[in-house]
Amino acid sequence: MGVFGNPIIAREFTNLLRSRRAIHLFVAVAAASSALVLMRWPSDAIVDLSGNQSRQVFRVFGYGMLATVLLLTPVFPATSIVREKNQGTLALLFNSPLGPVSIFVGKLIGALGFLAVLLMMSVPAAAALTAMGGVSPLREIGGLYALLALAALQNTAISLWISSRATTSDGALRWSFAAVLAVSVVAIGPHQFLQGRGTESLLSTGAEYLRCVSPIPAAMELMAHSDVASQGFESRVRAAPGYPLAALAITLAAAIATTTRLNYRIFDRARSQGVMTHERSRGEQWARRLFFLVDPQRRTRGIAPLVNPVLVKEFRCRRFGRFHWLMRLMAASAVVSLVLTLASTTATMERGVETIGGIMVALQVALIVLLTPTLAATLISGEVESGGWTLLQMTPMSAARILSGKLMSVLWTLLLIIVSTLPGYLVIVWISPESWLKVRVVLICLAWTAAFALLASATVSAFCRRAATSTTVAYVLLLSVYAGTMLIWLGRDAPFGHAMVENALRINTMAAALSVMGTPGFVTYRLIPDAWWITGGACVGFAVVLVLRARTLTRPQ
Amino acid sequence: MTTATTAPGEPAAAPSPSTSRVMETRALSKRFGDFIALDALDIHLDRGQILGFIGPNGAGKTTTIKILVGLLRPSSGEAVICGADCRRDARRIKKLVGYMPDRFGSYDNMRVSEYLDFFGAAFGIPRRARANRIHEVLETTNAAYMRDRYVESLSHGMQQRVGIARTLLHDPEVLILDEPANGLDPEARVEMRQLLLRLAAIGKSLIVTSHILPELARICDQVAIITNGRLRAFGPLAEIMRRVSQERTIEIQLANREDLPRAARIVDAFHGDAGASVSDTELMVRFRSHKSEDELGDLLRDLVDQRVRVSQFRELQADLEDAFLSVTREDGDRARIDAGAGTKAAR
Repeated sequence: MGVFGNPIIAREFTNLLRSRRAIHLFVAVAAASSALVLMRWPSDAIVDLSGNQSRQVFRVFGYGMLATVLLLTPVFPATSIVREKNQGTLALLFNSPLGPVSIFVGKLIGALGFLAVLLMMSVPAAAALTAMGGVSPLREIGGLYALLALAALQNTAISLWISSRATTSDGALRWSFAAVLAVSVVAIGPHQFLQGRGTESLLSTGAEYLRCVSPIPAAMELMAHSDVASQGFESRVRAAPGYPLAALAITLAAAIATTTRLNYRIFDRARSQGVMTHERSRGEQWARRLFFLVDPQRRTRGIAPLVNPVLVKEFRCRRFGRFHWLMRLMAASAVVSLVLTLASTTATMERGVETIGGIMVALQVALIVLLTPTLAATLISGEVESGGWTLLQMTPMSAARILSGKLMSVLWTLLLIIVSTLPGYLVIVWISPESWLKVRVVLICLAWTAAFALLASATVSAFCRRAATSTTVAYVLLLSVYAGTMLIWLGRDAPFGHAMVENALRINTMAAALSVMGTPGFVTYRLIPDAWWITGGACVGFAVVLVLRARTLTRPQ
Repeated sequence: MTTATTAPGEPAAAPSPSTSRVMETRALSKRFGDFIALDALDIHLDRGQILGFIGPNGAGKTTTIKILVGLLRPSSGEAVICGADCRRDARRIKKLVGYMPDRFGSYDNMRVSEYLDFFGAAFGIPRRARANRIHEVLETTNAAYMRDRYVESLSHGMQQRVGIARTLLHDPEVLILDEPANGLDPEARVEMRQLLLRLAAIGKSLIVTSHILPELARICDQVAIITNGRLRAFGPLAEIMRRVSQERTIEIQLANREDLPRAARIVDAFHGDAGASVSDTELMVRFRSHKSEDELGDLLRDLVDQRVRVSQFRELQADLEDAFLSVTREDGDRARIDAGAGTKAAR
């Protein structure tokens, strides 16, 4: 069956186009890209022969479109296979003459078609940009769209592979966003630390190649920016030609992995027989005692008095919320923090407190933004979707008790993770004792970030009936605040003025922390205490809405 | 096997000993905008009885149940369980009622014992009493062997039993079970039936909805048939059967295929309409009739006189399915008449 005769393409594509969200997205992309160009559209008779204005707009436009693609690509393919599997329609597809390749290609092209329409919404703005002069229509604009198409292809293939392995739609979304973040951002990290170590360093060379799997360095090269966080060193491996090869290789690998999953074995799921430790042989019991700090197969005691049962339930029914997993998480965090401490000790000497502090802040905020929706955005929507909310309604527990149990379960996990990443700051304070005040302010900013992420995600979950939807909305909201405003910062001074960038950054507590830390590029912005007031006000607003909504949901309709 | 008769946690308010009525609705109605989901429903249930709540999809069964358990506010009328008003005494209702919705409400990564422990704690049952209570309810529902299994790994039938165990945790007076036999295999259905009878025997009052009418007929003391939000029949099963059997179904089994058209003509002439249905494969003529025994005897004589070879002439025993179909058919006829009247009025 040829690609054009593939019925899945039409179904996936039309299904996506039919939704109201699609129209909103198209309008938003068209409006934002046009507004960007209009801001710098020449208003007097003087011609800018240097093309500076259009190049400034081109950079913000390029990063904005790249962020849009990275943010939106996982949304549709991540749930595509797992939802069909859970609804039973995947079995119908397997029963049809369509083979695994046809199913995969249908879903891939269906999702890419939607993204193509989305990108087309920005074409008029790109054309206007070319008309302003200074930007090559073929090499730069065409190159940018080719890069965006490759990024969309790569991330769609990864998301489809994750969807074929996931058991729930929201789980697939979480892992897809994590994978996109890992490929696009985390892959750049080693190069940031290891660049300039010389040709003899295998690690440094490996890091240069590794950064080619991310579209960001390629985009930077295309827009004539210096390399990622460049310290004045020139990279030997060029990202622009390397990225297409890496993207195509990843796509091919993901395609093979997905098509091999698309058969009846996808429905096989081992059902645990629930054998407990005391039912095993004596030898096995001893081995488990020795190797498990906290045995997961041990029979748990009943929920203790005075403890909120919802809090315990949330930890117990979370895959990584069990005590043995928390112990492992703490151990892993301790190891990571030791590595971080070592790296920051050596790097602080070389690069200064400001840069290292800035990287630590960015990593911590990335961790919070990535992790919080996975925990908080399904707190209520997950219960509603599974039918558990009706059962909770039938218990004598009040809305406040249910809500506090749920929120506390996320808060404890977040606290645990944030605290485990703090030793790096201790090193900074030890090296530069006068930084203590700065670190204190940064910690307050981190606390506000965590509170905002938690309350925003929980509020979103209270208004959605499906966990996948609430997870997506929460990610989009948080990434808009913490990454979207950074796009405006990227266009600082041109095309955006100082006042506008400062106003935009006021809602971003990460930027506030970076300005306090004195990270290059943020020093000139005075964001504290406005950022605290704005985030605090938003937190109070979300909390009020959340409580009211929870009360409504627990009352008779 | 023992089951606690007093609540292990906070004691649930018991009904007055002078009355055995545990549930009653009076003119209970629910509207969603212009749509009437429930129209003046009057039903009741006594202690230790099982009420079968029957109706086609969208008839208003779940709406009634949601009002009874306090999840939905009625537009008018009242519903009372053990003296507690379903609209005003939401907290008491939660302790008096054990509700099993048609969806299990599973949690991932939780064992059955942990699942029940959570709901026990949510109902405020103290830890020590809770452990004993979980053991009791699992024994009652024959689910003790599942206590260490993960709930999401249980089969549908097992989940239904765990669901009932959950409803029993706080020792409620009334159990409201929405489609408990739905999707169960025959063996699991028999087990479910025995379980429900056992619960009634220990004094629980049950309201059960089901589409599997023969199952309900075997366990129900009372039956309520509801269509389009209106109560069409309510009362003891035997009484409803008597009402339905006023119009009996008669089957005439023939020995010869050639006699079928002639037999159908005789039956139609006897009735004065063309209501007889003919089955070629079964060699059978079926019809519904209000006629007396003597009149039916005359019909048989006519058939024999006209040389129709009759091998059997029998009355079909009515069951709950017939009662349900009879009531829903009447409802359909009435709807057609109403529609016809509406069309005439429009003309």
